[in-house]
Amino acid sequence: MSISDATTAVSDELAARDDMIVCTGVDKWYGDFQALKGVTATIKEQEVVVVLGPSGSGKSTWIRCVNRLEQHQGGTIVVDGVELTNDVRNIEKIRSEVGMVFQQFNLFPHLTVLDNITLAPKWVKKQPKDVAEENARKLLDRVGIPEQADKYPGQLSGGQQQRVAIARSLAMEPRVMLFDEPTSALDPEMIKEVLDVMKELAQQGMTMVVVTHEMGFAREVADRIIFMEAGEIVEVGTPEHFFTNPTEDRTKLFLSQIL
Amino acid sequence: MAAPSLSTTQQQRPPLYRDAVVVKWALQLFILFLVLFAMWFLSKEAGDNLKAKGISTSFDFLSIDPGISLSEGIDTEPDTGGRALWVGMVNTLRLAIAGIFTATILGVAIGLARLSDNWIVRKFGNVYVETLRNIPLLVQILIWAALLGGLGRVALDNGPINGWLHISNKGVSIPRVFIADGFYQWAVVLLIGAVVGRWVFKQRTLKKDQTGEDTFPLGYAAAVVLVFGIIGWFIHPVFGFLNAPLQAISDAFGAIPEIAMQLALSAVAILFSARWIRNFFAERRTPAGTARLDDDDWFRVIFAAVGAAFACFFFLALWPGLSSWLINSFSDLFQVLADKFGDTPEGNARNGWPVDAKRPDIVQAGNFPNYGPAGLNMTLGFAAVFFSIVLYTGSFIAEIVRGGILAVAKGQTEAAQALGLRRSQMLRKVILPQAFRIVLPPLGNQYLNLTKNTSLAIAVGFSDLVQVGQTVGNQTGKPLSVFAIWMAFYLACSLTISVVVNFFNVRLKIVER
Repeated sequence: MSISDATTAVSDELAARDDMIVCTGVDKWYGDFQALKGVTATIKEQEVVVVLGPSGSGKSTWIRCVNRLEQHQGGTIVVDGVELTNDVRNIEKIRSEVGMVFQQFNLFPHLTVLDNITLAPKWVKKQPKDVAEENARKLLDRVGIPEQADKYPGQLSGGQQQRVAIARSLAMEPRVMLFDEPTSALDPEMIKEVLDVMKELAQQGMTMVVVTHEMGFAREVADRIIFMEAGEIVEVGTPEHFFTNPTEDRTKLFLSQIL
Repeated sequence: MAAPSLSTTQQQRPPLYRDAVVVKWALQLFILFLVLFAMWFLSKEAGDNLKAKGISTSFDFLSIDPGISLSEGIDTEPDTGGRALWVGMVNTLRLAIAGIFTATILGVAIGLARLSDNWIVRKFGNVYVETLRNIPLLVQILIWAALLGGLGRVALDNGPINGWLHISNKGVSIPRVFIADGFYQWAVVLLIGAVVGRWVFKQRTLKKDQTGEDTFPLGYAAAVVLVFGIIGWFIHPVFGFLNAPLQAISDAFGAIPEIAMQLALSAVAILFSARWIRNFFAERRTPAGTARLDDDDWFRVIFAAVGAAFACFFFLALWPGLSSWLINSFSDLFQVLADKFGDTPEGNARNGWPVDAKRPDIVQAGNFPNYGPAGLNMTLGFAAVFFSIVLYTGSFIAEIVRGGILAVAKGQTEAAQALGLRRSQMLRKVILPQAFRIVLPPLGNQYLNLTKNTSLAIAVGFSDLVQVGQTVGNQTGKPLSVFAIWMAFYLACSLTISVVVNFFNVRLKIVER
């Protein structure tokens, strides 16, 4: 079964939605090491896609190419109808529609939680201060830590920091959220609180691309799972297909090692 | 045998040599004793040897005419040794302050250049840093002195730009800008402008908060001050009337009886101390009650109280003259200010320019022409030390700045980019505030180095403290006393810089758990 066959295994309902991210033959090299080899994938509106794969398989590199934290060297990436080129205006447009959550949270340590969240709305979206702050408090409420608004990131636990990071991304009202291993730097007891926030976000209809090793999350929340290895997309399918009836040998091997 | 229960082991006192508290204190006292003994022994030996060799350690030369003249400074013919050293200190401070200011600007610029995307700018920065930080400072000073010394002799004509600039082997001379007749009246307008500018700044910031648009508060404030400055330049005579109220304040100060001033000063001391203690306790108050104070905390509280008591004793009993001195200096201060407004002592209204400039003129024409006092002169010695020390320290500061910016985690840049911040916004709001915290302590070190390195000025005969001290010490035969003054002065400079840097360091610390 080829990749294109697997892609067509998506339900008709999903296929009928608008395209949000369209990647066609995306290549990326680090020196003479090819990190991405012709990655082709389409992510639909309001879809939750989980990207799985062994470490070094190019998962993170791929989603970092989507908002230009890494520059792809071949193929095309189109986000919500805007192609990612060297045109600074396109890059700004795409970054304003794509939120990103990092493995290491990357909160600004010199700003309070509230300032972390309101910084970009104030200076990029030119929101009035009180509007931005009211928004921020609502978002903190949504991620379950309204009482931490005036603390500094260094005073919060890892799980709380990651939830602030999610709120910070949401403050820019993105249409797509990229999660780059959001729970990998967390203690086991804090993983759940972050995953719960992400699940709620998925239920509210956010388009999400999640790179993770949390199989439970993938099984429960994903509309589709993309399995990558060595810079290529090996298999695409629904969680049910992926966990119970994988077709590719490499997928089977991967699953046998982690489950 | 039953094992001893926990409670009995706790009640048993260990023998003295195993008691941690006793051992700690005994060790401290022993080391204290050793240090005191060593100090006593060394000073006694040194004293005996000095006496045997007939070397005097007195400071009487400070009030004796050293019979030397200095190449430059606030007083080139000092009439006492102390005055000569003071001139040297002022020269050293001039060099250090100007050097710190310029080296910081240069270093930041070069440091940013080394991180530039532009290949030529980046390479220029690299070459600059790698060259200048690898040549010893003393060599650089000598090179600069040789280069500047190779310039032409003082020309007796008007110089290149009709006398506004003279460059020769005696140094560089530019016009001296000085405050003129109407300066203080103009300053009043500027002050009003600054207040209005501050108000505009706040209004523009508020507007940014309310509407979200960019409002450029700093630019607006600067424009307001500029406008006030220009208007004030022409209307400053209007403020002549300020002479009367200032005169009145001066008279009022003169009328205060001494005892009132003494009591007021004591009250201020007590209030200050009480406020400090109250804040101290307030800081340590937690929702669960006041936190337990350790010995150190109590020591601070007691020190504050004793300080206040000592200040009262000082004001009331020890130095009654202080209060009259304070009254006099305040009334003098306002008297001086009053004299700056209204009419000049000659009875003319103050309507000249607030600021004026004088061209350097040449005095002492003949075999050894020199610049007169009218212009602002940067002498050869000062220039050689200044340029080399700025370029040298600048190269180190550049590396510190570059390191500080690179040390801000890459994730910070990525997060800022992912949020859509522009490059300039990212630098201003995310990178530089964090880089500054990293840069500050090593930057303080460079300031210390720069200040101490000014002592190399002796190589080109610039009259800094070391050069003057050397001469005075030789003339009077009191090198040890001069050494002591040198050490005390550089220590004071270094401590001042450290205190300032630490103050900002503590204030900018990132809050952690």
